[in-house]
Amino acid sequence: MSLNATAEAAIIRRPSRLREAATAVPWLLPSLILIAGVVLYPACLMVYTSFFKYTKQGIRKGDDPIGLDNYIGPAGALTFPGVPIGRILLNTVVWVVVVVLVTLVLSLLLAQFLNKPFRGRKLLRLFIIIPWACSVVMTATVFRYGLQENIGLFNRLLVDTGVLEVGRAWTKDPTSAFWIAVFVAIYVSLPFTTYTILAGLQSVPEDVLEAAHVDGATSPQRYLHIVLPLLRPAIATAALINIINVFNSLPILRLLQETPGYHTGHITTTLMYEYQRALGPGVSSALSVLNFLFCLVIIAIYLAAVRPTREVD
Amino acid sequence: MNHRVLKLGVLATASVLALSACGGSSTPSSTDASAGESIDPADLTTTISILAPSYADSSEADWQTIIDEFHKTYPNVEVKLQIEGWDGFTEKVSARIQAGDYPDILNDNAFAGSADAGLLYDISDVMSPETIAAIEPSLLANGVGADGTQWAAPDIASARMLVYNTDLFKKAGITEAPKSWAELEDAAGKLVALGDGVVGYGMPLGEEEAQVESSLWLWGAGGTWVDGENLTATSPEAVEGFTEMRKLFEAGLTQPKLEDNRQDITNLMQAGTLGMMVGHSQVVVDSEAKGVNVALAPVPDKDGGDGVATGVTDFIVAFNNDDADRKAATGAFLDLMYSDAMYESWYKGTKLLPVTTSMIEKAKSEASTENEKGFLDALSIVKFLPVGNTAWDALQSALQGSAYKVGTEDPAELLAQIQAQVDAQG
Repeated sequence: MSLNATAEAAIIRRPSRLREAATAVPWLLPSLILIAGVVLYPACLMVYTSFFKYTKQGIRKGDDPIGLDNYIGPAGALTFPGVPIGRILLNTVVWVVVVVLVTLVLSLLLAQFLNKPFRGRKLLRLFIIIPWACSVVMTATVFRYGLQENIGLFNRLLVDTGVLEVGRAWTKDPTSAFWIAVFVAIYVSLPFTTYTILAGLQSVPEDVLEAAHVDGATSPQRYLHIVLPLLRPAIATAALINIINVFNSLPILRLLQETPGYHTGHITTTLMYEYQRALGPGVSSALSVLNFLFCLVIIAIYLAAVRPTREVD
Repeated sequence: MNHRVLKLGVLATASVLALSACGGSSTPSSTDASAGESIDPADLTTTISILAPSYADSSEADWQTIIDEFHKTYPNVEVKLQIEGWDGFTEKVSARIQAGDYPDILNDNAFAGSADAGLLYDISDVMSPETIAAIEPSLLANGVGADGTQWAAPDIASARMLVYNTDLFKKAGITEAPKSWAELEDAAGKLVALGDGVVGYGMPLGEEEAQVESSLWLWGAGGTWVDGENLTATSPEAVEGFTEMRKLFEAGLTQPKLEDNRQDITNLMQAGTLGMMVGHSQVVVDSEAKGVNVALAPVPDKDGGDGVATGVTDFIVAFNNDDADRKAATGAFLDLMYSDAMYESWYKGTKLLPVTTSMIEKAKSEASTENEKGFLDALSIVKFLPVGNTAWDALQSALQGSAYKVGTEDPAELLAQIQAQVDAQG
């Protein structure tokens, strides 16, 4: 077809596209309003708030913005005395990376297993989804009480089986509480990830695998060169949603850490709430803004490194 | 995880709606006529709201009793009551303040922040002079702000004293409650020597109680947080007090985790495995209910003087909503609340101590046990935390977040850190 014809087609198509967009507006409007209301407005308010001084009770002091004081001032989010900020930033990265990676690896194994035909498979699938059906707060609370120093059931089990001599106050030590929170976060992230990957596995065409088998590919070869590439979109979706979700996960760490104040077991998300309680919404918003940027950076790195949207060749 | 995202969205929508609702409802302000004495109770038509913490299961009913009585004289005043648990109460208050929805009457344990922001009525301007005069002067003084204004009226008091397990004392051969720090160490040592997991002294430095516990050690060393207009955490007395706390911990005389809350320590007391702790009347009542025999003494100080006791009062504050009718109704409601007929059953519902002179006297005459009497007597000797000072909020937060580190960090350095947090907010 000639170049002319393509241009002609474009000219003809343009007004119709505009009209298409115009007719779509009434249908899109509610969503757009909702997005403006629940995403854009709060986000702008957060940025705005971060430039004003507030009291602990949330009363604004003075009408003039105070520049970057809430970020790096004497009582700023990054510079408030007594806050081990370097350690907390490191914790945040460790938290996201460890939880998401371990969740993905375990989910790949679990999904592979659940994809095999065996008796009681449906029942087992049901059991695996249960942690997801429970509220995260509930799950974390069960662990919190179970790990109490004197009365916790997990402690009791460890003492009675001789693993420990006396019960430990697991949740009152920032480090042990952090790693227990990592464990719980993996536990509650598994079901969603497993199911996403399981769905991906079921779309792997049986005949391609059979053909590879006939051609003499070993099962590791089949998995690495056929199954895994086909799973890429599923893994990418699962990883991205997990990163965002884990990064923002507040209840698990909040419930499992009983140490007061600015201890070394915080991540930026829990620190934000600590600030809100002790320093008011100004400083807390400042950290939220940083958190938001941080989250974007992590996702950007992920996208650049993995390029999950790249089509399978 | 999708359903969590969805929940978040719903929550956000709800909060946006709530926000916009608040923005629109600026109260039409009638002229600020001073407390309407000439208004006929039957004609007064308005709505007032109360925000109060839950002291006990009966709290809501206790307030409702007063509201019902109030309606007999003021049939057209609607009273909206909101009761919230102590857990997260500060956040609830902050949320209402930030939304501009000030409760007319707030029952809380702090007032300096709101007073400083100019949100409150001078409480003696709202309540009648007779009601103000009925409150025990030493307790009333606790509601005076740094600027000398009576911003708040105490509504309930509690005193913290040394509570000790008499059975354990007998077993360990200790005849008298310790008066000085040296005697305290000695007694705690003998208690720990009993074995069976007995803890000598319970030191709760968790988020809830750290400010009270650390203040007692500071006072015991003869110091104070107040330094003229300012608060200071780094006085030599504070260092001395914190050094003593560290000494007790290092000698293994306290519970193993200093970041325990008061309830953790109370649990030990109730289980009969704790020798001494600083506690209020509820601790005594709970322990006795579990069959643990306890007695009271002033908290030991450095040299074995008169000892110290901490007083804690909660307050009633009235927010300025710029509405003369609401102010009049608020005043009338509070006058009724503090009247002997209403106040007696209300304060008993909280299981704490009264603040009106007549009720303190009555309670003393009715006190059936030594322990009940002890707390009431202590009310006249107690020291108070500097709640009227605006810097106290910062100091309290810093103590609550860091005081437990005294077990592992150098006291002077720790206090300097606490001071730095206070200064940073200055």
